[in-house]
Amino acid sequence: MSEHYWGWLVAIYLFLGGMGAGAFLMAAMVELTGMRYRGKYCPTALVGAGVSGPLVLIGTVLLIFDLGAGIQEPWRILWMFTNFQSVMTWGIWILSLFLPIAFAYGVLEVMHVHPEVLAWTRKRLKFLPETLPYRRIKRVVCSIGSVLAVATAVYTGVLLSVVTAIPLWNTPLLPALFLVSAVSTGMGLTFDLAATLAVPEIHRRYNHMPLIHMIFIGLEIGLLGLLLVLALNQGGEAAESAKLILLGKGSVTFWVLVVAFGMVYPFMVHVYAFARKSHGYLSGILSGVGIVIAGLFVRYLLVAAAIPVTL
Amino acid sequence: MESKQDKAAKVSRRTLLKAGLGGTLLAAAGSKFIPFSQAMVPSAEQPASEYVLIIDLNKCSGCGACAEACNQRNNLPEGKSYIRRLKKGEEEDCWCLTVQCQHCQDAPCAKVCPAGATYRHPSGVVLVNDKVCVGCKYCAVACPYGARVYDEHTGVVNKCWLCLDWVLGGGEPACVQACVKGARIFGRRDDPEIAELLASGRVQTLHPEFGTEPGIVHYIFPGS
Repeated sequence: MSEHYWGWLVAIYLFLGGMGAGAFLMAAMVELTGMRYRGKYCPTALVGAGVSGPLVLIGTVLLIFDLGAGIQEPWRILWMFTNFQSVMTWGIWILSLFLPIAFAYGVLEVMHVHPEVLAWTRKRLKFLPETLPYRRIKRVVCSIGSVLAVATAVYTGVLLSVVTAIPLWNTPLLPALFLVSAVSTGMGLTFDLAATLAVPEIHRRYNHMPLIHMIFIGLEIGLLGLLLVLALNQGGEAAESAKLILLGKGSVTFWVLVVAFGMVYPFMVHVYAFARKSHGYLSGILSGVGIVIAGLFVRYLLVAAAIPVTL
Repeated sequence: MESKQDKAAKVSRRTLLKAGLGGTLLAAAGSKFIPFSQAMVPSAEQPASEYVLIIDLNKCSGCGACAEACNQRNNLPEGKSYIRRLKKGEEEDCWCLTVQCQHCQDAPCAKVCPAGATYRHPSGVVLVNDKVCVGCKYCAVACPYGARVYDEHTGVVNKCWLCLDWVLGGGEPACVQACVKGARIFGRRDDPEIAELLASGRVQTLHPEFGTEPGIVHYIFPGS
């Protein structure tokens, strides 16, 4: 086994990129479907729009800190926009387009919820109008941003899946898993955590959300299971990687944190919530935490268990 | 009041400014890009490399003189080397596989490098522009031969460059000069000795199933 070039920093970046994209998608969904306007106040839209930009930005900064010469001579980073054969170049373009849109959406949503923010800004920037056609602007921002959010989540998977030297990653299941996990962690953050904390009775407003969440957690379990089973079946380095996760060094993290706490438990909570039409306060928060932790550790395990082809 | 002409003049001035700025940026990018144009050509159209390095593993004793010479030539820090030695086979008849950059025609490291710092020289040698490399290590992850070496001090991921300065001057790479067993045979693809070996069928590339089409480094495996 050769040296590990990518570690925690890259795993956290993949996670933050995915969760930021997922949070944006959730906020955009409640905005575009009009769910946001069912009550006086929608924490999912506010948190989703507010955190997606910062989350992706933190991830990007971590990625920049993982660079070598690029951190010593930052202007070199501009070259990273130039090789369109490289998935990393696609990613840098996607991030450069997604970040401003995510931040713009965050600012719009905050202004929409708290009109005093616009009033405060107007004192400094006199040319701003008294009010903005928020819904119309947000509809455009959400539509374009959603496409870029999906692109962000998918690209973090494609980045790894094009590496033929690492058989565990080299499957189209990986981008699919990362996309589903991105949506799932976004949902965990904006519904299970934020909504439950802010407006516990909100789940009565969105009574089909637990079902959607169950579908995504189910898909995540299915895709992760399929990826590992196929890797075992493939033999060679792919099987060795899968064994590291299932039985080896990563097994405790995998079975306890990812499977039990991050997938099975939230799934059960949502089955219960779907039947009862409401989330319990504690179970909602715990399942949100579980989903987010699973999203991080799935990526870490997949990065850490990468075994290159044997010579 | 502004006349239409004034407006048009203003717009065109602004457009001109934008075009000028864009053009300068493009030209700057282009000037850096010229050496990389080779890397952009699909592999099928890429000519075979001019040089060939054949490593006869029947003669190689695994002494490591090649790696030692390479480390000195490239001033590599302790513990880093562009040439790896892997122990192969059972205890009694074990042999040493020396691996360095294979200079692939369809090099995955060049494909994944976001900065375009890795490129194929017209001679077929895969090179790293250490003024452009950002040190993202994607190439190191993508290389199936594990030929990439990250230097923490320079922050650049480098590799074997076939001592191209010596080779272009008519010489041989440091590892070839250092091999006392004569296990490293280096020359131009059209040299009679090299051409004969390549045609003999004894010479193979390392793991052709990886699909990267190793261009320069070839092997004569034990027993063949």
